Amino acid sequence: MLSFKFIKEKFIKSLPLVILYFLSLNSFVLVNDIPNVDVFSFNLQMIIIYFYALKFPEYLGFGHVFLIGIFKDVLIGTPLGSTALCYLVLCLVATYLRNVTLRPRLASEWFTFVPALFFSNATYFTIINNFSNLSFYYVELLRVTFFTFLFFPIFYFFLNSHLKLYNKDNA
Amino acid sequence: MAEQRDDLLIALRYALLKKGTKQKFSLFFLIIVSVLVIILDKLSYSYITKTRAVLNDFIYQVAIVTSSPEKFTKYLIDRGIHHYSVYDENNLLKEQNAELKAQLVNNQFLKTENEMLKEALKLNSNKSIEQDVSVIAKVVIDQESPYLKSFLLNKGTSDGVKKGMTVFSDKYLIGTIVEANYLTSRVLLINDLNSKIPVIIQDSNVNAILSGQGVKRRMVLDYLPEQYQLEPGRNIYTSGKDGILAAGIAVGETYYNEKDKIVEVRTLADLDQTLFVQITNGQLR
Repeated sequence: MLSFKFIKEKFIKSLPLVILYFLSLNSFVLVNDIPNVDVFSFNLQMIIIYFYALKFPEYLGFGHVFLIGIFKDVLIGTPLGSTALCYLVLCLVATYLRNVTLRPRLASEWFTFVPALFFSNATYFTIINNFSNLSFYYVELLRVTFFTFLFFPIFYFFLNSHLKLYNKDNA
Repeated sequence: MAEQRDDLLIALRYALLKKGTKQKFSLFFLIIVSVLVIILDKLSYSYITKTRAVLNDFIYQVAIVTSSPEKFTKYLIDRGIHHYSVYDENNLLKEQNAELKAQLVNNQFLKTENEMLKEALKLNSNKSIEQDVSVIAKVVIDQESPYLKSFLLNKGTSDGVKKGMTVFSDKYLIGTIVEANYLTSRVLLINDLNSKIPVIIQDSNVNAILSGQGVKRRMVLDYLPEQYQLEPGRNIYTSGKDGILAAGIAVGETYYNEKDKIVEVRTLADLDQTLFVQITNGQLR
């Protein structure tokens, strides 16, 4: 019989995936709904994917990351597979950094987020420019990327709390 | 130097090929799958298009269900805000109503006069631009994206919707159908960066291209004559020069931006408030 503790444990563990699926299937963008504040829009999905791929990849199946990207592509209308590839490149950079890092710290993880975002966005725009006729505002992407980078430490704190909560439950 | 390069390659190979604990697929495999999906999507063979349409319909239906709590929250917030602005809005509407009543009398005279003049000139209205398909659809998902501005509608090819049809909200043009699935369709909004409409400005013979900016209701007029100064309070109509949209459809209006002290163009329809739309294959009558 399923115990309450087991369900709670499963829920806590799958929370990042639930949030990622929710964000990819919804138009809900935290700051975009507030007038005059949408200038601070950022990509929360990238922060979550990078954080878990770097710190705790067991929480985040790469297959799910692929599916989340596909969902996002279908809903936004970008070429199918472009966002999926962009997120997978982010995972690849995070996994590489995880392998070469001996002592992880917030500062180092924050600054290594820059090359991760760079490679991810470069992949995205290479696909958009070569596989579709869509026009994008490059400044807009730069702005979103900048705020994604800037808000990383804030979410790092929240996501770390989630990890602690899970570890405490398992202790 | 060579050792460093070897280390980098080993770490990269490890990251690509090693399936971590509880990972079902390696990153390398998923990246290859993504690239294949992108290439297949680009090829646009009929069976791929059909598969994509089925996938689109499935994901849209899931998204409709999952976005319902968010929609309900937004609805409650909007109702709350609306409640506090009712008094001011009522006064404003009373004033506008009085003005419109006065204009209506004048318009009726002009309409009668116009009919008489047409009759005299034996001008028939252009039948080719009248719609023979008109579908009312509901906006099911308004996906917020900083890049692409589009709506998902709950009507698809099963209801007669086809790619390229025009979409109206409150009798104002809001976009064209760019993707038609069996149950759903996607409309590319006129404020999207990829939207370019040939237009004519009210009370002038000036032609221009109305381009979306990807920002709320703001739009921009390209290819205006040199030295031409936009005046506020002018309506923008389609010129019909693209051979797709009929001439004379109201699209936007010019207004004075108090903040930036310039005359700008905005859409006539409030795209954020659009809930029901009319899809036609011609001009809305």
